[in-house]
Amino acid sequence: MAATNNEGARQHVHHSYIWLGGLQAFFIVVVAVAISAMSSIIGFIAEVGSRMSLRDAMAVPIIIGLAALGLLVLFGIVVATRAWSYKHLYYEVGPSEFNVYSGIFNKKRVHVPYQRIQSVDQKATLLQRIFGVCSVSIDTAGGSSNKAIIIPYVSKNQAETLRRELFARKQWATQGGDAPMPLPSNAPTSAPTASATVPGTANILDVGDEAWQQVGGVFAGEAVFTGTVSYEYGLSNKELLLSGLSGNASFIAIVAVVVVAVLQVVAGLFDLFPSSSNHVVEMATSMAAQQSAPVIAAWVAGAIIAVSLVGWALSILSTCLSYGGFHARRRDDRIEVERGLLQHQFQGVSVERIQSVEVRQSFIRRLMGYCEITLGKVDAGNDSEDNSSANGLAQRGVVIHPFVKKDRVPEILRGLLPEFAELPDEPIAVAPVALRRGLIRRCLWQGGGFWLAVCTLALQLLMHCLAGIDGDLAVDDGVVMLGWTDAIATGLYALAAVLLVLDIIGSVLWFRESSFAMNERFMSVTNGGFSTVTVSFPRNKIQFGYTKTNPFQRAARTASIHARTAAGVGGTTVRLIDAREADALAWLDWTKPGGNRTATAER
Amino acid sequence: MQESSTLPSQSASESKLDPRIKSVWRINDALWIVVCAIICIVPFLIVLLAADEDAAWAGTVMLLEVIAAVALLVVFLGVLPSIRYARWRYRVSEDYLEIRKGIVWRKHYVIPFIRVQNTDTRQGPILRAFGLASVTVATAAGEHEIPGLRTQDAELLRDKAAELARLAREDV
Repeated sequence: MAATNNEGARQHVHHSYIWLGGLQAFFIVVVAVAISAMSSIIGFIAEVGSRMSLRDAMAVPIIIGLAALGLLVLFGIVVATRAWSYKHLYYEVGPSEFNVYSGIFNKKRVHVPYQRIQSVDQKATLLQRIFGVCSVSIDTAGGSSNKAIIIPYVSKNQAETLRRELFARKQWATQGGDAPMPLPSNAPTSAPTASATVPGTANILDVGDEAWQQVGGVFAGEAVFTGTVSYEYGLSNKELLLSGLSGNASFIAIVAVVVVAVLQVVAGLFDLFPSSSNHVVEMATSMAAQQSAPVIAAWVAGAIIAVSLVGWALSILSTCLSYGGFHARRRDDRIEVERGLLQHQFQGVSVERIQSVEVRQSFIRRLMGYCEITLGKVDAGNDSEDNSSANGLAQRGVVIHPFVKKDRVPEILRGLLPEFAELPDEPIAVAPVALRRGLIRRCLWQGGGFWLAVCTLALQLLMHCLAGIDGDLAVDDGVVMLGWTDAIATGLYALAAVLLVLDIIGSVLWFRESSFAMNERFMSVTNGGFSTVTVSFPRNKIQFGYTKTNPFQRAARTASIHARTAAGVGGTTVRLIDAREADALAWLDWTKPGGNRTATAER
Repeated sequence: MQESSTLPSQSASESKLDPRIKSVWRINDALWIVVCAIICIVPFLIVLLAADEDAAWAGTVMLLEVIAAVALLVVFLGVLPSIRYARWRYRVSEDYLEIRKGIVWRKHYVIPFIRVQNTDTRQGPILRAFGLASVTVATAAGEHEIPGLRTQDAELLRDKAAELARLAREDV
């Protein structure tokens, strides 16, 4: 508690930085050494094993002892360096900016003006959780190469205090306070009983999360009051399980199964062709092949299906675990999301830093009528040590609900983000001509099926020409070859036709659902198709807007509208192709300062 | 407001770039094309000179490359600059900057000054030789360049953009 009052005092990170971090670094070094020395160790063991005498047997314990000693010395060195750098790693909460000092020889000092803080996140691996420490990362909007400032190994209590302090000072600085900030009182001003928890949002894994809360971790320290929670929700059992089931991995698994099935059918077709040639030898070889080929094919297909199913199950499990203990809450003027049963992740972003609200429906989720809500924020340049990319959760922004029924979205936004309550609700559809243009664009220029058919046709013609050139050399070989080619080509044409039909359906869906809308404070853009995305963002987060036309669009009197926001790394462009020209111009006028007033006055 | 009256773009009408920018573009593009052509041609020249046996193919490739370079020079020096110049317009209004450009893909940007984070003028050796400068206006999500303004106009525009950008309450 005393930590809050010492403005400008050096604050060191937790001492687990030395031993826990040292242990981690030590293991990395040992693994690296083991891998590089693997061959010589194996060679040595093999040699010893081949001619083992009594003297050698005596030497083995000595060697093992020496190795252990070496490891011990190595561990000592690693810990000593960690201890040394620990002495030089500290941060200061200054009157106008936050400073992080680091480095033994190369001194580094990072200044962060409070106003520039975008979000304060914390993350803990399983080991760190056990000991009640975490890494705090502070995002700033520092251009494209900005990196989050990471303060590793801070005790939970220290992290919470730091977060509260940073947000309070940020708010103070934003309000233009030049005087020293009044110290926040530690006692809650009102008892946090006002939290309106949505009923029926508990799941099995919450029990585990509660257990974590109770245990807390060895060095966690006592809980810190960081603000009043006004709205909070978790995930129900169903939502948790289904978010795992309907993730991207399941789509990949289904595609894999379908592809394997198609291949099996195609392989079955191919078996017919070699027998069409009447040579005895050919017959014999094809007979032999036919005996074994289906069995092998079945095995391979079964293996692929099994592997993809296991992968699917694993991905469901990992999604469930990573969303275990999911809680999104509104605390004062910021939104906090925490999740992860093993690896804990905590994201906190203040409301005025939210760039956009994205409602995303993948194809499977769409069939079920569910969607995912993500808040766009200015992200820091990613550091590759991010483990979350491994389990497919390396999403940008803050996921405030991974799986929610579409009609509950307004309710959640009202509770969590009252600032975003009045989103525009008069969608302006794309131009009627956009259907034709969309069909041409998606089915021809960008159509996978069309280009697959074209390439297949070209290859088929090429094969036929080649066969025609050296025709009388090996007529029968040529016939067999052409038979194979035509069979493969037929399969590819069928695939192309399926893709083309999908493209057509996708374009029609896109045309029927795509629109944009704007009102005095917000704009939203919906891009339809098999999966739909609706992005809504406040007008004052649009950095600039532009329309873009190509000659065909000018002939059809349409234009693409592009709104650029600072969300993500280096900005995000929200695009809608083929709005009516007049609508696009009206929108461009709306993006001009004051344009919202004149635009709404006209209505 | 008086001192900014020299800025041709102060009125509501759109203004064009300084016509001398066409020469700047021509010189710039010519330099690039010539350098790239030399880089492409030199290896084949070495082959042609060093090879003992018949290396006529290298000569053919060189010829093709020279033809390509000349064609590019004609397009980039003769045709494109005037079209590009004709299509490039900008307008500095009270509180936003408007840019229209593009020949095939025509773009129309609206950049409110309150979103501008920083502005600067840049002047390369070619621009300086013509007494021109380009103004860059950067927002939190990308920047825009107006090339080829007279140096004093560029500075006026920069100062105006900087002043309006300072009035912005909150950045991102």
